[in-house]
Amino acid sequence: MSRSWPAALLIAYPPDWRDRYGDELELLVRDLRDHGRNPVPMTFDLLRGAAAAWRRSRRGFTMSERSRQALITVLWSWVAFAATAAWFGHDLGIYPSRSIAQQIAGAHQLVPDAYHVLFGVGIAGLAATVIAAVPFALDAARYARASHRNSVFALMAVPPVTAGLWLGGVQLAGRADSTSGMTFAVVWLLLGLAGIAASTQAVISIVRTCEFSRTTWRIGAGAATAVAAAMLVGTGATIVWGLAFRASAGHSAGTSGWLIVMAIMAVTTARAVLALHASRRQSPTPAPAPAVA
Amino acid sequence: MEFTEPVVLVLTSLADGPKHGYALAKDIESFAGIKLGPGTLYGALSRLEDRGWIEALPAEDRRRPYQITSAGAEHLSAHLHTASQVAATGLRRLEPKLTS
Repeated sequence: MSRSWPAALLIAYPPDWRDRYGDELELLVRDLRDHGRNPVPMTFDLLRGAAAAWRRSRRGFTMSERSRQALITVLWSWVAFAATAAWFGHDLGIYPSRSIAQQIAGAHQLVPDAYHVLFGVGIAGLAATVIAAVPFALDAARYARASHRNSVFALMAVPPVTAGLWLGGVQLAGRADSTSGMTFAVVWLLLGLAGIAASTQAVISIVRTCEFSRTTWRIGAGAATAVAAAMLVGTGATIVWGLAFRASAGHSAGTSGWLIVMAIMAVTTARAVLALHASRRQSPTPAPAPAVA
Repeated sequence: MEFTEPVVLVLTSLADGPKHGYALAKDIESFAGIKLGPGTLYGALSRLEDRGWIEALPAEDRRRPYQITSAGAEHLSAHLHTASQVAATGLRRLEPKLTS
């Protein structure tokens, strides 16, 4: 079907954009012309619109709000999960005492070693996070430079600066005497948690504010899936370990610590999995770019 | 996403119910006095749809209406509150100059 001028200028739009909006835009052009709109300004407007559509299709696209929110939910859940797993994993070798840990290991040869599983989960999740962080950081820097938003650079500096300050404090704590060192360590641990929360919030602000390329979103979606899978494995390992402990030490054994850890892991894992699931169930209107994550 | 003028105009127009392209253009012209071109209007619609702030409804006679989503309504509301505060401050500060 041939298009009347200036609707023929639709050919200037990217093909995927034209497939989605072409018919509607052509009808609008016809309606506006039928109601006396001057075709000359419309021509320039269509050309400007085509240029903008090409720029967006090449440089990036805007993520759907639900998918962006899913990525943010997975990130927060992962941080809470990782902090809990790190604490539990650190204590696991001697939890609730070194002798009982050895007793469990001896009595349940088939039970996976929760410590090693958690360690593997941590490495896998961390690797996925770092792999995703690189393209996101590059895109965010590009966006900040193009749109003259120095606040994005300030947000990007929060995680490394916070980590540097915290690690510097750890070095100082190592040199202090034992009494003051213990107080300092507790305070520094709490500050570390606050630093992790602040860094996560800074990253989330960047994800909310900046525009990222389609490839970057796909990498983010893949990383989020890998992280959620790692969280599922970690939660499963912790449950198995706890049940093995109860079987060895009896139901009267003090397992409140394990129950709290398991509850945090289960809730954060469920949040991450549900967020990813919901983002993939969103009703796809035939959009020019597929929603990912 | 930055709040460009066409985006605000489209969201404002959709705030009282779904509309298709031509109805949007006429409504925006009536309440803002701005004649949005077809390329500008559909550029705003595609950005808003990608972001999940509006959604397409089934086409009626080849014309597809769009409606604002709850996320779009929240963002528009927040933007309009900020804009109204800026406008009120600006007008208050201009008042002495305009009355003198």
